[in-house]
Amino acid sequence: MSAETDIKETVGGNDVVLFMKGTKSMPQCGFSSRVAGVLNFMGVEYQDVNVLADDGIRQGIKDFSDWPTIPQLYVKGEFVGGCDIVTEMTLSGELDQLFEDKGVTFDKDAADKIREHNG
Amino acid sequence: MLVEEEIHAALETAFTPRELTVRDVSESHRGHAGYQDGGQSHFDVVIVAEAFENMSRLARHRAVHEALGPALISRIHALALDIKA
Repeated sequence: MSAETDIKETVGGNDVVLFMKGTKSMPQCGFSSRVAGVLNFMGVEYQDVNVLADDGIRQGIKDFSDWPTIPQLYVKGEFVGGCDIVTEMTLSGELDQLFEDKGVTFDKDAADKIREHNG
Repeated sequence: MLVEEEIHAALETAFTPRELTVRDVSESHRGHAGYQDGGQSHFDVVIVAEAFENMSRLARHRAVHEALGPALISRIHALALDIKA
């Protein structure tokens, strides 16, 4: 399967997908770690894709979104952003709103706790 | 020219920002992936420009990526962007 087909199926077939360096339980980059940490802490169910395990995916995902960096977060097939954007949206509450709008289950108390400690 | 100076010059030209700081934070990543002797691999950028008004977060980031260009971006290991209008 080509990387592009593979990426389309993963992004289309899962509500929340994080393309990252490493895995959600063992991230291998500070930026990937931060986004995975937010999703883990908020109790969001998501598919992690380790781009370090596949050079085709690593380049393919950058072409797919026309975005040069990893991590990349997708919700219901839509590209949300990388580490800076996800962090800003977490702190502003926009990420909660996005999950609510898209019908993605998450722990609101945990999200509030993140804001409490990083406000 | 240092990578840091190239980033600064490209953003200055593209956006004539009110505020622009480019910090080489490579030292704090010593020993991590992408670190190289002499730094110039990891950067924190704060940019404030009117050009970003009415742009979504994604659009702001995309505009900065475009201003830097693929050649310069390929030489940067990590880039943290704080973009405001």
